[in-house]
Amino acid sequence: MTTPYLRVRNLTKHFGDFTALDDVSIDIHQGEFVCFLGPSGCGKTTLLRAISGLDIQTHGTVEQNGRDISALPPAKRDFGIVFQSYALFQNLTVARNIAYGLENRKQPKAMIRQRVQELLELIGLPDSGHKYPSQLSGGQQQRVALARALAISPGLLLLDEPLSALDAKVRVYLRDEIKALQRRLGITTIMITHDQEEAISMADRIVVMRNGKIEQIGTPLEIYHQPASLFVAEFIGAMNLLPATLVRQGEIQLGQTRLACKMDGFATGASVHAAVRPEDVVCTGRTNGHANSFQAEVQDMEFMGPFFWLSLSGGELGDHRLRAQVSSQRARELDLRPRDSMHLHIPAEQIRLFPNGYPHG
Amino acid sequence: MAEAIVMAAPRIRPRLGRDEWLMGGGLLVLALYLAVTLLVPLVIMLAKSLEDSEGAFVGLANFAQYFSNPALSSAIGNSVWVSALATLIVIVLAFGYAYALTRSCIPFKGFFRLVAMAPLLAPSLLSAIALIYLFGNQGALKGWLFGESIYGPVGIVMGSVFWTFPHALIILITALSSADARLYEASESLGATRWRTFITVTLPGARYGLISATFVVFTLVITDFGVPKVIGGQFNMLATDIYKQVVGQQNFQMGAVVSLILLLPAVLAFFVERWAQTRQGSAVSSRAVHYQAKPRPVRDWALLGLVSLAALLILGILGMAAFASLAKLWPYNLSLTLSHYDFSNADGGSWASYGNSIRLALYTAIFGSLIVFAGAYLVEKSRVVKPLRTATHLLALIPMAVPGMVLGLAYIFFFNAPGNPLNFLYGSMTILVLATIAHFYTVSHLTALTALKQLDPEFESVSASLKTPFYRTFWRVTTPMCLPAILDIGIYFFINAMTTVSAVVFLYSPDTTLASVAVLNMDDAGDTAPAAAMAMLIVITAGAVRLLHTGLSHWLHRRTQAWRGGKRT
Repeated sequence: MTTPYLRVRNLTKHFGDFTALDDVSIDIHQGEFVCFLGPSGCGKTTLLRAISGLDIQTHGTVEQNGRDISALPPAKRDFGIVFQSYALFQNLTVARNIAYGLENRKQPKAMIRQRVQELLELIGLPDSGHKYPSQLSGGQQQRVALARALAISPGLLLLDEPLSALDAKVRVYLRDEIKALQRRLGITTIMITHDQEEAISMADRIVVMRNGKIEQIGTPLEIYHQPASLFVAEFIGAMNLLPATLVRQGEIQLGQTRLACKMDGFATGASVHAAVRPEDVVCTGRTNGHANSFQAEVQDMEFMGPFFWLSLSGGELGDHRLRAQVSSQRARELDLRPRDSMHLHIPAEQIRLFPNGYPHG
Repeated sequence: MAEAIVMAAPRIRPRLGRDEWLMGGGLLVLALYLAVTLLVPLVIMLAKSLEDSEGAFVGLANFAQYFSNPALSSAIGNSVWVSALATLIVIVLAFGYAYALTRSCIPFKGFFRLVAMAPLLAPSLLSAIALIYLFGNQGALKGWLFGESIYGPVGIVMGSVFWTFPHALIILITALSSADARLYEASESLGATRWRTFITVTLPGARYGLISATFVVFTLVITDFGVPKVIGGQFNMLATDIYKQVVGQQNFQMGAVVSLILLLPAVLAFFVERWAQTRQGSAVSSRAVHYQAKPRPVRDWALLGLVSLAALLILGILGMAAFASLAKLWPYNLSLTLSHYDFSNADGGSWASYGNSIRLALYTAIFGSLIVFAGAYLVEKSRVVKPLRTATHLLALIPMAVPGMVLGLAYIFFFNAPGNPLNFLYGSMTILVLATIAHFYTVSHLTALTALKQLDPEFESVSASLKTPFYRTFWRVTTPMCLPAILDIGIYFFINAMTTVSAVVFLYSPDTTLASVAVLNMDDAGDTAPAAAMAMLIVITAGAVRLLHTGLSHWLHRRTQAWRGGKRT
């Protein structure tokens, strides 16, 4: 593998007694789109600000393109940045905003004008150069902020929760647009977000953070399907966490039923959390005809349009509560109703075990 | 042990770029500037209070002497009760006035507001002079006082109420404007009477404003020099005592002692005011619904009566001063003349003083707003040396707690010291400008900070990422966006420089006499009519500049409408 474009090594940041970043190391490759994901206070913003030089870390190094930039002020680094608040200069027109970084480089006026026009077209606002930011919608303003950051052709693009201030619809639309733009330009990009859906849909790789530490680094598929910790399992997507006992290697006792599961290296007899995604719970019908299945009662059904949320307990499940996601079409086939007794199947490889203990504790 | 040292990663020492050096350097210059024009003089004055006239350390001997001499220490009691009485009257009046402007449906609100602000344009001396014309030995309405003399506490209280009224009004209007309509609806729907609603909703909502206004007015009155000097007669107060000790008896040490005593209420008021400000800010939630008053004839007529009476009194005082400046020989020959505006025969003032005042006001406005705004920018936006930023900010807050008399005296001690390399400034226009900027620094600094805090905090980050030096963004973005606030600071400096007496009265020289001081000196010399004329000149000038400022602000607002969009602030 080639040397990474950005090498972050053992980054630690203290604010007085508080440790905001604790020994964080990541490699990010040329052209990659990486998301820092985590709840507020997890250190993702601190990490981004250390990489940009806006708030330099206490210990640890940052290398960009083979150059040690650990201690450099932001102006000596090579990045463009977009903030949640847009931070557009309201007293300058859209064109002047985009040209802002170029004007300082003593380029000929005609060249600047041409570059600004290019960028306006790139963000799909070719005729808005003469407008002021306050005359644009939030989504348009954020695209202008993006163009302003890209104008100086930085090696690294930093996006600090760029979509969080926008309406849900605009957010989804701009999500695709930013991703397409990033692919087209091939610019190495780091985005921070607390929205897991955003991270999963946009990132090549996701860095899940918690309490100033990295919980897991991986592709969206890896993060979703092979969460490395109970925290990641619960934080990303919906997840059932059921207390169970490992009766022998590859088999757990859950209520009155025994289910085969993945081998995860726990000692036999250990108390564990069995993690199951609601969409991996398969409703097989009123009669049993499947391995690795059990019987339970539908306590509640919540119609969500394309699917139902089922709340299951009783039967072989006992007091445990399990949420399942069943497509509307499948529910119609089975003529599912509350109080129905159902047989449910969970594939063994979709049951992951984690040590007992509350994830946020 | 040795291994642990090897293991520990080296601490990163951020390298500084040009921006960081310039910002840090700017902060350092500002901190030094504030130290020299503010902190050091004050500290030296503190030290002087512990020395005898030869400069030898005598501990608290000066204080002991002060408190053992009833002729001196009686001023404390006098100052306190007179200030308390004036404060009580001002707060009650101003609360009613503010309530009428914000919570009722009386007509002509704009006019009443304008009238109430008029005293801000005049030196505090003006009200005292007008009162002498009204109630003095030859006063038109002398009989109204039932034999009481205007020269003394009565006159001081009346004069102080006049000139501090707008200060209280501004605070109380702010406090009463931020009402949450939902609370009133809740109170009404629960069947509370109007009186009960007033007691349980209105008053608590405005309590921090009331506390703040009370302390501000008390401090203004107790530290004011103009009114008691002109109308106080033999009634001694702290502020006039400083003047008597220093100018009359050349007893600088005793002047320092009285200054320190005068500093106490001002410092106390400062802390209470800061506390109330932070409370006021957090008391109103962002989801509050704006309160809109509904017409209620009885209340509205009653309030209209009160407001009209107050406005009439203010206009009466101003009108009396104007008339006094025009009447040929009060009270014997009331034909009108402009001869009092000639000043050539008056003792203690001339058109040159007026010219000096204009110069002082212009210099203070220009350099003051430059220094204050650039300084506030560095304090708020620079990414470097946090402790220096905090220290500079604290320095900038000090002037609010320092009465002008005290600052002026501190300047004498500092700049007039023979060994001081800045000694050459003594008696110059520069020292007047420095003192006036320092005297009115805090309010300007806070105005600038408020404006800067409304800008996106990431402008500087974006600018750095675009490799654009911070000063370019400061010039092209920050300054244009804050121009209204900068204009406000400029006008605040200008008008205060025109009207102030307290700090500069110790610092002017024969070449730099000022209009406001001339009012004082002419009145002292018995040339009351020219004194009134000079005071009116100040009012007219300040008013004209205020009009100019309003026009400029409107023009600026129209010009920037395009980018301000709907977000009119």
